[in-house]
Amino acid sequence: MTTTTRGRKGHASADDPRVMLDEQIGVFEPIPPYPPRTEREAEFYTLRDGEMFINIGPQHPSTHGVLRIVLKIDGENVVDLDPVLGYLHRGVEKLCENADYHQAICYLDPLEYVSSLFCEWPGVMAFEKLLDVEVPRRAEYIRVLSSELNRVASHALFMGWMALDLGGLTPILWSFIERDEIVEMLASLTGQRMLFNYFRIGGVNGDLNHEFMSRLGEWMSRATTQIEANIGLLNENEIFVRRMRGLGTMDSETALRMCMSGPNLRATGVPFDLRRAHPYSVFPELEFDIPTRTEGDCLARYLVRLEEVKQSLKIIDQCLNNMPDGPIMAKLPRLLRPRPGRAYAGIEGPRGQYAAYVVSDGTDQPFRMRIHDPSYLHLQSVGLLMPGHLIADAMAVMASLDPIMGGVDK
Amino acid sequence: MTAMARTWGRLTLAGKVIFTLLPILAILTIGLIAVVVLFGGAILDFLTTNLWLVRFVVAITAVLLMSIPTAFLIIYMEMKVIALMNLRIGPDRVGPFGSLLSVVHGLKVLMKEDFSPTGVDRIVFTLAPIVVFMATVMALLVIPFAPGLFGQDFNIGLLYFFAIGGMSVVGLLMAGWSSFNKYSLLGGLRSAAQVISYEIPLTLSVVGLLLLAGTMSLNQIALNQSGWFTSWYVFQQPLGALIFFIAATAEANRTPFDLTEADSEIVAGFATEYSGMRFGFFFFAEYVNVFVVSALIVTLFFGAWNAPFAWPWPVALNLDPGSLGIGLLILIAIVPVIATLLLAAPFWLASSRVKGWQALVMGFVLFNLLAGAAIVGIAYIGLDWVAGLFWFLGKTYVFVFTFVWMRGTLPRVRIDQLMGFAWKWLLPASLLNLFVTAAAIAVVAPR
Amino acid sequence: MDPALRRRLERRFGERLTGPIRQRHDETELRIGAGDSGEVIRALHDEPEFGFTFLADLAGVDTGTTMQVVYHFWGASTPDWLRLVVDGLPRDDPRVPSVTALWKGAEWMEREAYDMFGITFEGNRDLRRIYMPPDYQSFPLRKDFFLADDAARSPGAGVRHMEQTHAPRNATPAATIRRTRA
Repeated sequence: MTTTTRGRKGHASADDPRVMLDEQIGVFEPIPPYPPRTEREAEFYTLRDGEMFINIGPQHPSTHGVLRIVLKIDGENVVDLDPVLGYLHRGVEKLCENADYHQAICYLDPLEYVSSLFCEWPGVMAFEKLLDVEVPRRAEYIRVLSSELNRVASHALFMGWMALDLGGLTPILWSFIERDEIVEMLASLTGQRMLFNYFRIGGVNGDLNHEFMSRLGEWMSRATTQIEANIGLLNENEIFVRRMRGLGTMDSETALRMCMSGPNLRATGVPFDLRRAHPYSVFPELEFDIPTRTEGDCLARYLVRLEEVKQSLKIIDQCLNNMPDGPIMAKLPRLLRPRPGRAYAGIEGPRGQYAAYVVSDGTDQPFRMRIHDPSYLHLQSVGLLMPGHLIADAMAVMASLDPIMGGVDK
Repeated sequence: MTAMARTWGRLTLAGKVIFTLLPILAILTIGLIAVVVLFGGAILDFLTTNLWLVRFVVAITAVLLMSIPTAFLIIYMEMKVIALMNLRIGPDRVGPFGSLLSVVHGLKVLMKEDFSPTGVDRIVFTLAPIVVFMATVMALLVIPFAPGLFGQDFNIGLLYFFAIGGMSVVGLLMAGWSSFNKYSLLGGLRSAAQVISYEIPLTLSVVGLLLLAGTMSLNQIALNQSGWFTSWYVFQQPLGALIFFIAATAEANRTPFDLTEADSEIVAGFATEYSGMRFGFFFFAEYVNVFVVSALIVTLFFGAWNAPFAWPWPVALNLDPGSLGIGLLILIAIVPVIATLLLAAPFWLASSRVKGWQALVMGFVLFNLLAGAAIVGIAYIGLDWVAGLFWFLGKTYVFVFTFVWMRGTLPRVRIDQLMGFAWKWLLPASLLNLFVTAAAIAVVAPR
Repeated sequence: MDPALRRRLERRFGERLTGPIRQRHDETELRIGAGDSGEVIRALHDEPEFGFTFLADLAGVDTGTTMQVVYHFWGASTPDWLRLVVDGLPRDDPRVPSVTALWKGAEWMEREAYDMFGITFEGNRDLRRIYMPPDYQSFPLRKDFFLADDAARSPGAGVRHMEQTHAPRNATPAATIRRTRA
């Protein structure tokens, strides 16, 4: 084996400049250099008259993360699209197999980094099922409280991104002000601003402290008016509403067939919320509504999320009022060896159903840790929603589905 | 020979530059002196008989030179104002409150590597920014900044303006086509379509105004709006003004019609492959365009250089400092001293901690401020062009601020919504405006 | 834990089950073989007494000895999650009928199972790699996946000396692969 840039025989090294000369200079088509291997690939990569490919490459100024989309366009109309994933694939599931049960929780945070607590929760719940551990009520209430705060932060950020992809520069900065306050609150509770690593098997890491409660109290007292103000910036703007209405319409049949969940599904008219359909934690005791809309377009998805923010505030209120006393973590041995078996836990996150399926073989490492992420399935639907719209709407539709590439690529 | 080469090699870059330029400059100076000495008289005669030529050249140079700081100022304003609207701080490191940032940006853009990608059409690629920049700056020729302060007073001034503005479309198309890039092509086509669509309501909305004013000369239109602000054409042509404002926003590629620069979709549109000074040209041209368009709105509808009020009594300042003779020199010598002492006195008397020299400095600063204010006031009253320039620039920058404000607040429209709006709404509205105006004129004051 | 659900399932699918129906906490688990999976899933989806119309998850599992495909369903008729384990797939060429006819959203989940395990879903129109590059050779989540092996086959091998990896001396798949009865 040589160490020059020549590479081994038969394989050209990517550093070798001669690799590029195989293609015509200046023509960098996003068509793959091998013949199509599946029906769908063949269907997508054959161009009819007047069509061309546009590659919205992994680097682009839109904010969803590293996602590559190949658009097939006819003038300004998008005929078809093919997302290419894997740019943020970190092998989380494989890493979890080589880690402890406690360490695996840390791997779950960066999946949907915007709403980390929701990523930890199903994993922790599945571990608790395998260990037959009962979580103390105070811990459950704290989990609900912190995760609903995280939901508000995530939806605030969604609002900002939606506006940014439509061209408004201001709302995203205002969203970040909102989010900053919440994230500082959570930092005083969990110690971290973004990848919280707060939930533990059997409870949470630290109890509510004075700083968190005072920040929370302050924020709650102005939260409603602040949210109304932020909402007013966008909802009453004719340009926003006209661009979002009627865009990317999905009906409930298609949404169920595409296995969508969360606000995207509720915007099409199906009132499916895991907190009510398959209650977990202390949600049976809490009162809140499930906002649903029937239009199924971008505006509906946007409005559903705004309503959810208000419902989250209600839940936070109830948690604060009904917070029981008690331990915040169940008593567990340090070395955890759950029974061999399987467990599945699903929760309602800001994007939909987050779930974890854990297979345990009796050792202290999970045998298989499968993470189910909703953004992955929502991204599939972009191909269904786009045809008939313009390129400018591609980003708007994607933003309204609210994918987080960390979760999509695991 | 080698000694010279060795000396040359030992010089630093600055030294090399000086040693190359000095002989050239010396030769040029000698040549210039020779020309002046030999042909000076003939040149002077020619110029005095064709004073309009001198005036023209001076006007163009002044306008061109002033367009650059204007663009700098507008760029800085945009960054700072949008930042404040976004509840951020914006530039605040370079210079006081970050005001030198755009100067630094300009220098940076000059120093970047000037390359063009493989496969582009070199000539067209190079000419495109020049065409766009030229089209924008040439429009500054006809704008009346103040009574007597304009480049040229064509009696088809407005037509000239629209004609030149249309040239920028050619530049955009050249840029989009010559970049060997699908994104640029799409962006160039989009912007060309946009600019062309909005030119029609732009020109039509002004025709009503032309009927009222009876002339296309911008200077004459400005003169027609003298007196109180009720004589401004915006009150006689409100719909026309509104249409013009919207169409001008689209012409200038500003939000909400800034699809061509839509970052989240087609990176930078037609300018994707441009970098360095070439991109600087596009960037500059856009901001000069904003200024030009605001200036035009002000000229046509908001009274150009007229103040909103007219002095009810004639104000004339008959100052004749020359009549004082020697007294003038004594006055200039004594007044600053006495004024400084008088103004310093209250500071010195107010507190025992204020030292003498500090009070004198404060007094001197105050005197300068008062004297400066007095001089400005005298210039304002005495020289009509100072007043006119002040009002013109003030009103223009109000509109520039409005453009920046719209950029910070509004999202952008989609291409089909944009085209639909131009053809289905603005065009009929401007035609309606024209018909109503014509009918009103025919009924009320037929000529 | 829904005993009524268990009875219904045993009554309907009794002969196809390859193991007892297990229930724990709020999950009910069925095990079937690959041949029956298409019919069983269709029955669970279509028949009104089951009505499992929401596919919550589709995962591949490599138990070390066999491959499995695990489906999770939610239905309004029962408060439990239903887990369907399609067990006993051979490790060399695991094949399962695809459920994309019922749920188009399963297309990408099956693509991921193919990419990570090599499980072929018959009937999936778009069975190509999704996370890994299209010309990748191995299947990462399999228990016999050997990273050094994979790096040696990549186009970047040999470029920098750190990419020349050597297998551990006593590494044979039989010794190092992790197995369980899952």
